[in-house]
Amino acid sequence: MAILFKNFKLRLLEFLPLLLLFFISLNGNSIIDFNFFSINAHYILVYFWVLRQPRSLGYGFIFLSGIITDVVFGLPLGVTALSLLVVSSVAAYVRVVTVNISLINDWISFIPAILLANFFYFIALYFSNYSVEYLYLFVNSIFTFIFYPILWSIFSLILNITKS
Amino acid sequence: MDTSRDDVSIAIRSAFLKKGTQQKFSLLILILLSITFIFFESIQFKPLDYLRSAVKDTIYRGSVIVSYPSKSFAGLANFFHNYINLHSNYNELKKENNILKNNISKYSYIELENNQLRKLIDEQVMSPGNMVSARVIIDKQSPYLNSFIINSGSNKNLKNGMAALDGQNFIGRIVDVNFFSSRVLLVSDLNSKIPVIIEPSGHHAILTGHGKNLPSLEYLPENHKVKDGDIVFTSGKEGVFFPGTPIGKAKLEKEEINVSLFSNLSQITFVNISLGESDKRK
Repeated sequence: MAILFKNFKLRLLEFLPLLLLFFISLNGNSIIDFNFFSINAHYILVYFWVLRQPRSLGYGFIFLSGIITDVVFGLPLGVTALSLLVVSSVAAYVRVVTVNISLINDWISFIPAILLANFFYFIALYFSNYSVEYLYLFVNSIFTFIFYPILWSIFSLILNITKS
Repeated sequence: MDTSRDDVSIAIRSAFLKKGTQQKFSLLILILLSITFIFFESIQFKPLDYLRSAVKDTIYRGSVIVSYPSKSFAGLANFFHNYINLHSNYNELKKENNILKNNISKYSYIELENNQLRKLIDEQVMSPGNMVSARVIIDKQSPYLNSFIINSGSNKNLKNGMAALDGQNFIGRIVDVNFFSSRVLLVSDLNSKIPVIIEPSGHHAILTGHGKNLPSLEYLPENHKVKDGDIVFTSGKEGVFFPGTPIGKAKLEKEEINVSLFSNLSQITFVNISLGESDKRK
Protein backbone atom coordinates (compact mmCIF):
# COMPACT_ATOMS: atom_id res chain seq x y z
CA MET A 1 0.00 0.00 0.00
CA ALA A 2 2.81 2.36 0.96
CA ILE A 3 4.66 1.58 -2.28
CA LEU A 4 1.48 2.14 -4.26
CA PHE A 5 0.96 5.51 -2.56
CA LYS A 6 4.60 6.50 -3.16
CA ASN A 7 4.31 5.57 -6.85
CA PHE A 8 1.10 7.56 -7.15
CA LYS A 9 2.74 10.58 -5.49
CA LEU A 10 5.73 10.40 -7.85
CA ARG A 11 3.49 10.02 -10.87
CA LEU A 12 1.47 13.04 -9.74
CA LEU A 13 4.64 15.09 -9.31
CA GLU A 14 5.78 14.08 -12.80
CA PHE A 15 2.50 15.30 -14.24
CA LEU A 16 2.45 18.41 -12.06
CA PRO A 17 3.98 20.78 -14.69
CA LEU A 18 1.40 19.64 -17.24
CA LEU A 19 -1.48 19.94 -14.77
CA LEU A 20 -0.24 23.37 -13.71
CA LEU A 21 0.09 24.45 -17.34
CA PHE A 22 -3.53 23.63 -18.14
CA PHE A 23 -4.84 24.82 -14.79
CA ILE A 24 -3.39 28.31 -15.17
CA SER A 25 -4.60 28.47 -18.78
CA LEU A 26 -8.16 27.44 -18.04
CA ASN A 27 -8.37 29.39 -14.78
CA GLY A 28 -7.02 32.53 -16.44
CA ASN A 29 -4.11 32.83 -14.00
CA SER A 30 -1.31 32.89 -16.54
CA ILE A 31 -0.69 36.48 -15.50
CA ILE A 32 -0.77 36.87 -11.73
CA ASP A 33 -1.86 40.44 -11.24
CA PHE A 34 -1.27 42.28 -7.96
CA ASN A 35 -1.95 45.93 -7.28
CA PHE A 36 1.55 47.15 -7.99
CA PHE A 37 3.05 44.42 -10.12
CA SER A 38 2.21 41.40 -12.24
CA ILE A 39 4.02 38.20 -13.12
CA ASN A 40 3.67 35.99 -16.15
CA ALA A 41 3.71 32.57 -14.48
CA HIS A 42 3.12 30.90 -17.85
CA TYR A 43 6.49 32.05 -19.23
CA ILE A 44 8.39 30.91 -16.12
CA LEU A 45 6.68 27.51 -16.07
CA VAL A 46 7.31 26.83 -19.76
CA TYR A 47 10.88 28.14 -19.70
CA PHE A 48 11.91 26.13 -16.65
CA TRP A 49 10.46 22.79 -17.71
CA VAL A 50 11.53 22.96 -21.37
CA LEU A 51 15.03 23.84 -20.18
CA ARG A 52 15.36 21.30 -17.39
CA GLN A 53 13.04 18.40 -18.24
CA PRO A 54 11.43 18.75 -21.68
CA ARG A 55 9.71 15.36 -21.50
CA SER A 56 7.41 16.73 -18.77
CA LEU A 57 6.03 19.46 -21.02
CA GLY A 58 5.44 18.59 -24.67
CA TYR A 59 5.51 21.37 -27.26
CA GLY A 60 2.04 20.31 -28.42
CA PHE A 61 0.66 20.82 -24.92
CA ILE A 62 2.35 24.23 -24.68
CA PHE A 63 0.72 25.22 -27.97
CA LEU A 64 -2.69 23.99 -26.79
CA SER A 65 -2.37 25.83 -23.48
CA GLY A 66 -1.55 29.03 -25.40
CA ILE A 67 -4.68 28.61 -27.50
CA ILE A 68 -6.78 28.11 -24.33
CA THR A 69 -5.28 31.27 -22.76
CA ASP A 70 -6.11 33.23 -25.91
CA VAL A 71 -9.74 32.10 -25.76
CA VAL A 72 -10.09 32.80 -22.02
CA PHE A 73 -8.49 36.26 -22.30
CA GLY A 74 -10.27 37.12 -25.57
CA LEU A 75 -7.10 37.57 -27.62
CA PRO A 76 -6.78 36.50 -31.26
CA LEU A 77 -6.17 32.73 -31.43
CA GLY A 78 -2.47 31.89 -31.68
CA VAL A 79 -0.97 35.00 -30.04
CA THR A 80 -0.13 33.50 -26.63
CA ALA A 81 0.66 30.15 -28.28
CA LEU A 82 3.25 31.89 -30.45
CA SER A 83 4.86 33.74 -27.54
CA LEU A 84 4.99 30.56 -25.42
CA LEU A 85 6.61 28.67 -28.30
CA VAL A 86 9.18 31.47 -28.62
CA VAL A 87 9.99 31.03 -24.90
CA SER A 88 10.27 27.26 -25.52
CA SER A 89 12.58 27.86 -28.50
CA VAL A 90 14.99 29.96 -26.44
CA ALA A 91 14.87 27.37 -23.64
CA ALA A 92 15.54 24.54 -26.12
CA TYR A 93 18.45 26.48 -27.63
CA VAL A 94 19.95 27.24 -24.19
CA ARG A 95 19.58 23.57 -23.25
CA VAL A 96 21.58 22.52 -26.33
CA VAL A 97 24.41 25.03 -25.84
CA THR A 98 24.89 24.90 -22.05
CA VAL A 99 26.54 22.24 -19.96
CA ASN A 100 26.34 23.61 -16.41
CA ILE A 101 22.98 23.96 -14.72
CA SER A 102 22.83 26.91 -12.37
CA LEU A 103 20.28 29.50 -11.35
CA ILE A 104 22.43 32.37 -12.68
CA ASN A 105 22.78 30.76 -16.14
CA ASP A 106 19.06 30.07 -16.35
CA TRP A 107 18.15 33.49 -15.03
CA ILE A 108 20.34 35.44 -17.47
CA SER A 109 19.23 33.38 -20.45
CA PHE A 110 15.62 34.06 -19.42
CA ILE A 111 16.10 37.74 -20.44
CA PRO A 112 16.22 37.12 -24.23
CA ALA A 113 13.36 34.63 -23.83
CA ILE A 114 11.07 37.28 -22.28
CA LEU A 115 12.18 40.01 -24.66
CA LEU A 116 11.66 37.87 -27.76
CA ALA A 117 8.34 36.47 -26.54
CA ASN A 118 6.96 39.94 -25.74
CA PHE A 119 8.24 41.25 -29.06
CA PHE A 120 6.30 38.56 -30.96
CA TYR A 121 3.31 39.12 -28.66
CA PHE A 122 3.33 42.83 -29.42
CA ILE A 123 3.78 42.31 -33.18
CA ALA A 124 0.95 39.75 -33.35
CA LEU A 125 -1.44 42.01 -31.41
CA TYR A 126 -0.42 45.03 -33.47
CA PHE A 127 -1.29 43.27 -36.73
CA SER A 128 -4.56 42.03 -35.23
CA ASN A 129 -5.52 45.67 -34.41
CA TYR A 130 -5.56 45.16 -30.64
CA SER A 131 -4.44 47.97 -28.37
CA VAL A 132 -2.31 46.94 -25.41
CA GLU A 133 -0.80 48.90 -22.56
CA TYR A 134 2.90 48.93 -23.42
CA LEU A 135 3.95 50.14 -19.98
CA TYR A 136 2.07 47.25 -18.39
CA LEU A 137 3.80 44.79 -20.72
CA PHE A 138 7.19 46.29 -19.78
CA VAL A 139 6.53 46.24 -16.02
CA ASN A 140 5.19 42.69 -16.32
CA SER A 141 8.39 41.57 -18.09
CA ILE A 142 10.60 43.09 -15.39
CA PHE A 143 8.68 41.50 -12.51
CA THR A 144 8.52 38.16 -14.33
CA PHE A 145 12.33 38.29 -14.56
CA ILE A 146 12.71 39.29 -10.88
CA PHE A 147 10.31 36.59 -9.71
CA TYR A 148 12.01 33.82 -11.72
CA PRO A 149 14.38 32.58 -8.94
CA ILE A 150 11.48 31.98 -6.54
CA LEU A 151 9.60 29.72 -8.95
CA TRP A 152 12.94 28.22 -10.06
CA SER A 153 13.56 27.06 -6.46
CA ILE A 154 10.07 25.54 -6.15
CA PHE A 155 10.27 23.76 -9.50
CA SER A 156 13.82 22.53 -8.79
CA LEU A 157 12.55 21.01 -5.55
CA ILE A 158 9.79 19.16 -7.43
CA LEU A 159 12.31 18.04 -10.05
CA ASN A 160 14.69 16.70 -7.41
CA ILE A 161 11.90 14.75 -5.71
CA THR A 162 10.86 13.10 -8.99
CA LYS A 163 14.47 12.27 -9.86
CA SER A 164 15.36 10.79 -6.47
CA MET B 1 35.02 31.72 -36.69
CA ASP B 2 33.47 29.24 -39.14
CA THR B 3 33.42 26.56 -36.50
CA SER B 4 31.53 28.74 -34.00
CA ARG B 5 29.00 29.73 -36.68
CA ASP B 6 28.51 26.02 -37.48
CA ASP B 7 27.98 25.33 -33.79
CA VAL B 8 25.26 27.99 -33.57
CA SER B 9 23.46 26.70 -36.66
CA ILE B 10 23.65 23.13 -35.37
CA ALA B 11 22.24 24.27 -32.01
CA ILE B 12 19.42 26.20 -33.70
CA ARG B 13 18.55 23.28 -35.96
CA SER B 14 18.61 20.94 -33.01
CA ALA B 15 16.33 23.22 -30.96
CA PHE B 16 13.81 24.02 -33.67
CA LEU B 17 13.61 20.99 -35.93
CA LYS B 18 14.52 18.01 -33.78
CA LYS B 19 11.74 16.35 -31.88
CA GLY B 20 13.17 15.86 -28.40
CA THR B 21 12.41 13.06 -25.99
CA GLN B 22 8.71 12.21 -26.14
CA GLN B 23 8.01 15.29 -28.31
CA LYS B 24 5.52 14.66 -31.09
CA PHE B 25 5.85 18.00 -32.86
CA SER B 26 8.84 20.13 -33.76
CA LEU B 27 8.87 23.72 -32.54
CA LEU B 28 9.06 25.13 -36.06
CA ILE B 29 5.87 23.36 -37.16
CA LEU B 30 3.97 24.64 -34.11
CA ILE B 31 5.27 28.20 -34.55
CA LEU B 32 4.08 28.14 -38.17
CA LEU B 33 0.74 26.74 -37.00
CA SER B 34 0.37 29.60 -34.49
CA ILE B 35 1.07 32.17 -37.20
CA THR B 36 -1.53 30.45 -39.41
CA PHE B 37 -4.06 30.69 -36.55
CA ILE B 38 -3.38 34.42 -36.12
CA PHE B 39 -3.81 34.89 -39.86
CA PHE B 40 -7.09 32.94 -39.93
CA GLU B 41 -8.45 35.06 -37.05
CA SER B 42 -8.70 38.02 -39.41
CA ILE B 43 -10.66 36.04 -42.02
CA GLN B 44 -14.46 36.09 -41.73
CA PHE B 45 -15.65 32.85 -43.31
CA LYS B 46 -18.84 31.05 -42.20
CA PRO B 47 -17.48 27.47 -41.67
CA LEU B 48 -14.43 28.96 -39.93
CA ASP B 49 -16.69 31.06 -37.68
CA TYR B 50 -18.66 27.93 -36.71
CA LEU B 51 -15.43 26.11 -35.87
CA ARG B 52 -14.18 29.07 -33.82
CA SER B 53 -17.51 29.29 -31.95
CA ALA B 54 -17.46 25.56 -31.13
CA VAL B 55 -13.85 25.71 -29.88
CA LYS B 56 -14.51 28.81 -27.77
CA ASP B 57 -17.74 27.43 -26.28
CA THR B 58 -15.93 24.21 -25.27
CA ILE B 59 -13.03 26.10 -23.68
CA TYR B 60 -15.38 28.45 -21.81
CA ARG B 61 -17.22 25.47 -20.29
CA GLY B 62 -13.87 23.93 -19.29
CA SER B 63 -12.79 27.23 -17.77
CA VAL B 64 -16.01 27.50 -15.76
CA ILE B 65 -15.42 24.03 -14.27
CA VAL B 66 -11.73 24.62 -13.50
CA SER B 67 -12.32 28.04 -11.95
CA TYR B 68 -15.17 26.77 -9.75
CA PRO B 69 -13.02 26.13 -6.61
CA SER B 70 -11.32 29.55 -6.75
CA LYS B 71 -14.68 31.20 -7.42
CA SER B 72 -16.25 29.45 -4.43
CA PHE B 73 -13.35 30.55 -2.24
CA ALA B 74 -13.69 34.15 -3.41
CA GLY B 75 -17.46 33.95 -2.79
CA LEU B 76 -16.85 32.70 0.75
CA ALA B 77 -14.40 35.53 1.47
CA ASN B 78 -16.91 38.01 0.07
CA PHE B 79 -19.65 36.55 2.26
CA PHE B 80 -17.57 37.05 5.43
CA HIS B 81 -16.61 40.56 4.35
CA ASN B 82 -20.26 41.47 3.78
CA TYR B 83 -21.24 39.92 7.11
CA ILE B 84 -18.68 41.99 8.98
CA ASN B 85 -19.86 45.20 7.29
CA LEU B 86 -23.56 44.41 7.70
CA HIS B 87 -24.35 47.01 10.36
CA SER B 88 -22.66 49.97 8.68
CA ASN B 89 -24.19 48.97 5.32
CA TYR B 90 -27.64 48.86 6.92
CA ASN B 91 -27.31 52.43 8.26
CA GLU B 92 -26.04 53.73 4.92
CA LEU B 93 -28.88 52.04 3.03
CA LYS B 94 -31.43 53.48 5.46
CA LYS B 95 -30.18 57.02 4.79
CA GLU B 96 -30.06 56.38 1.04
CA ASN B 97 -33.58 54.97 1.09
CA ASN B 98 -34.95 58.11 2.76
CA ILE B 99 -33.33 60.33 0.12
CA LEU B 100 -34.61 58.13 -2.70
CA LYS B 101 -38.15 58.13 -1.29
CA ASN B 102 -38.12 61.90 -1.37
CA ASN B 103 -36.92 61.94 -4.96
CA ILE B 104 -39.30 59.33 -6.41
CA SER B 105 -42.19 61.67 -7.11
CA LYS B 106 -39.88 64.22 -8.78
CA TYR B 107 -38.30 61.58 -11.07
CA SER B 108 -41.56 59.94 -12.14
CA TYR B 109 -42.78 63.32 -13.35
CA ILE B 110 -39.53 63.90 -15.29
CA GLU B 111 -39.77 60.40 -16.83
CA LEU B 112 -43.34 61.02 -17.96
CA GLU B 113 -42.36 64.33 -19.47
CA ASN B 114 -39.33 62.72 -21.16
CA ASN B 115 -41.46 59.97 -22.74
CA GLN B 116 -43.90 62.53 -24.10
CA LEU B 117 -41.09 64.60 -25.59
CA ARG B 118 -39.50 61.51 -27.16
CA LYS B 119 -42.81 60.63 -28.80
CA LEU B 120 -42.95 64.15 -30.15
CA ILE B 121 -39.63 63.69 -31.96
CA ASP B 122 -40.59 60.19 -33.17
CA GLU B 123 -37.84 58.46 -31.28
CA GLN B 124 -38.31 54.84 -30.29
CA VAL B 125 -38.68 54.38 -26.56
CA MET B 126 -36.80 51.37 -25.28
CA SER B 127 -39.04 48.75 -23.76
CA PRO B 128 -37.99 46.02 -21.32
CA GLY B 129 -39.31 43.47 -23.81
CA ASN B 130 -36.31 44.15 -26.03
CA MET B 131 -33.90 42.83 -23.42
CA VAL B 132 -32.27 39.47 -22.88
CA SER B 133 -30.79 38.70 -19.49
CA ALA B 134 -27.60 36.70 -19.22
CA ARG B 135 -25.30 35.50 -16.48
CA VAL B 136 -21.58 36.28 -16.33
CA ILE B 137 -19.84 32.89 -16.45
CA ILE B 138 -16.18 33.91 -16.75
CA ASP B 139 -14.88 37.14 -15.35
CA LYS B 140 -11.13 36.83 -15.78
CA GLN B 141 -10.00 40.40 -16.12
CA SER B 142 -7.11 40.10 -18.54
CA PRO B 143 -4.54 42.85 -18.10
CA TYR B 144 -4.86 43.50 -21.81
CA LEU B 145 -8.57 43.14 -22.32
CA ASN B 146 -11.32 44.23 -19.89
CA SER B 147 -14.12 41.89 -20.77
CA PHE B 148 -16.22 38.99 -19.51
CA ILE B 149 -18.09 36.03 -20.90
CA ILE B 150 -21.88 35.66 -20.64
CA ASN B 151 -23.92 32.49 -21.07
CA SER B 152 -25.98 33.63 -24.08
CA GLY B 153 -24.95 33.68 -27.69
CA SER B 154 -26.45 33.29 -31.13
CA ASN B 155 -28.99 30.88 -29.54
CA LYS B 156 -30.61 34.01 -27.97
CA ASN B 157 -30.21 36.11 -31.14
CA LEU B 158 -27.30 38.12 -29.76
CA LYS B 159 -25.18 39.93 -32.32
CA ASN B 160 -21.90 41.81 -32.33
CA GLY B 161 -22.21 45.44 -31.29
CA MET B 162 -25.28 45.06 -29.04
CA ALA B 163 -25.29 47.09 -25.83
CA ALA B 164 -24.73 45.36 -22.48
CA LEU B 165 -26.45 46.93 -19.47
CA ASP B 166 -26.15 46.48 -15.72
CA GLY B 167 -29.73 47.20 -14.71
CA GLN B 168 -30.36 50.35 -16.75
CA ASN B 169 -26.71 51.45 -16.93
CA PHE B 170 -24.55 50.96 -19.97
CA ILE B 171 -21.40 48.90 -19.26
CA GLY B 172 -20.15 47.69 -22.63
CA ARG B 173 -20.94 46.02 -25.91
CA ILE B 174 -20.82 42.53 -27.38
CA VAL B 175 -17.71 41.86 -29.45
CA ASP B 176 -17.67 38.11 -29.98
CA VAL B 177 -20.74 35.87 -30.32
CA ASN B 178 -20.53 32.07 -30.13
CA PHE B 179 -23.39 29.53 -30.07
CA PHE B 180 -23.93 29.52 -26.29
CA SER B 181 -21.67 32.32 -25.07
CA SER B 182 -20.58 35.84 -25.93
CA ARG B 183 -17.84 38.23 -24.90
CA VAL B 184 -18.77 41.66 -23.54
CA LEU B 185 -16.10 44.34 -24.02
CA LEU B 186 -16.35 46.74 -21.09
CA VAL B 187 -16.28 50.54 -21.45
CA SER B 188 -13.05 50.62 -19.44
CA ASP B 189 -11.13 48.62 -22.08
CA LEU B 190 -8.42 50.25 -24.19
CA ASN B 191 -10.24 49.19 -27.37
CA SER B 192 -13.61 50.64 -26.31
CA LYS B 193 -14.86 53.86 -27.97
CA ILE B 194 -18.50 54.83 -27.33
CA PRO B 195 -20.34 57.89 -28.75
CA VAL B 196 -21.88 59.78 -25.81
CA ILE B 197 -23.80 62.92 -24.96
CA ILE B 198 -23.23 64.97 -21.78
CA GLU B 199 -26.16 66.47 -19.94
CA PRO B 200 -27.10 69.26 -19.32
CA SER B 201 -24.59 70.89 -21.72
CA GLY B 202 -25.66 68.62 -24.60
CA HIS B 203 -22.10 68.21 -25.94
CA HIS B 204 -21.26 65.11 -27.95
CA ALA B 205 -18.03 63.20 -27.23
CA ILE B 206 -16.37 59.82 -27.45
CA LEU B 207 -15.96 57.81 -24.25
CA THR B 208 -12.57 56.10 -24.45
CA GLY B 209 -11.41 53.28 -22.14
CA HIS B 210 -7.95 53.25 -20.56
CA GLY B 211 -7.63 49.78 -19.07
CA LYS B 212 -7.35 50.01 -15.30
CA ASN B 213 -8.05 53.75 -15.05
CA LEU B 214 -11.42 55.45 -15.47
CA PRO B 215 -12.63 56.00 -19.05
CA SER B 216 -12.31 59.58 -20.32
CA LEU B 217 -14.18 61.91 -22.66
CA GLU B 218 -12.46 62.75 -25.93
CA TYR B 219 -13.27 64.91 -28.97
CA LEU B 220 -15.24 67.47 -26.95
CA PRO B 221 -15.67 70.90 -28.57
CA GLU B 222 -13.00 73.45 -27.58
CA ASN B 223 -15.23 75.74 -25.52
CA HIS B 224 -17.20 73.03 -23.79
CA LYS B 225 -19.02 73.63 -20.52
CA VAL B 226 -18.74 70.19 -18.96
CA LYS B 227 -18.80 70.37 -15.16
CA ASP B 228 -18.05 67.94 -12.37
CA GLY B 229 -21.08 65.69 -11.86
CA ASP B 230 -22.61 66.10 -15.33
CA ILE B 231 -24.31 62.92 -16.47
CA VAL B 232 -22.96 60.96 -19.45
CA PHE B 233 -25.45 59.05 -21.65
CA THR B 234 -25.09 57.05 -24.86
CA SER B 235 -25.82 59.43 -27.73
CA GLY B 236 -27.17 56.86 -30.18
CA LYS B 237 -25.13 58.52 -32.92
CA GLU B 238 -24.36 56.30 -35.93
CA GLY B 239 -27.31 54.15 -34.78
CA VAL B 240 -25.02 51.92 -32.72
CA PHE B 241 -26.92 52.03 -29.39
CA PHE B 242 -30.16 53.42 -28.01
CA PRO B 243 -29.78 57.06 -27.04
CA GLY B 244 -30.14 58.08 -23.41
CA THR B 245 -28.74 55.02 -21.64
CA PRO B 246 -26.92 56.33 -18.54
CA ILE B 247 -23.20 55.52 -18.25
CA GLY B 248 -21.72 57.63 -15.46
CA LYS B 249 -20.82 61.04 -14.05
CA ALA B 250 -18.19 63.43 -15.38
CA LYS B 251 -15.19 63.88 -13.08
CA LEU B 252 -12.80 66.72 -13.87
CA GLU B 253 -9.17 65.80 -13.14
CA LYS B 254 -6.38 68.16 -14.25
CA GLU B 255 -6.53 68.36 -18.05
CA GLU B 256 -8.73 65.29 -18.49
CA ILE B 257 -12.44 64.68 -18.03
CA ASN B 258 -12.89 61.20 -16.68
CA VAL B 259 -16.16 59.37 -16.22
CA SER B 260 -16.98 57.69 -12.94
CA LEU B 261 -19.22 54.78 -13.96
CA PHE B 262 -22.60 54.15 -12.33
CA SER B 263 -21.90 50.40 -12.25
CA ASN B 264 -19.04 48.70 -10.48
CA LEU B 265 -17.60 46.60 -13.30
CA SER B 266 -15.96 44.09 -10.97
CA GLN B 267 -19.25 43.23 -9.22
CA ILE B 268 -21.47 42.25 -12.13
CA THR B 269 -23.24 38.89 -12.07
CA PHE B 270 -26.11 39.45 -14.52
CA VAL B 271 -26.33 41.69 -17.56
CA ASN B 272 -29.17 42.82 -19.81
CA ILE B 273 -28.51 42.80 -23.51
CA SER B 274 -30.49 45.28 -25.53
CA LEU B 275 -31.81 43.57 -28.67
CA GLY B 276 -33.99 46.48 -29.71
CA GLU B 277 -31.68 48.30 -32.06
CA SER B 278 -31.16 45.30 -34.34
CA ASP B 279 -34.92 44.66 -34.44
CA LYS B 280 -35.48 48.25 -35.45
CA ARG B 281 -33.02 47.90 -38.32
CA LYS B 282 -34.89 44.90 -39.72
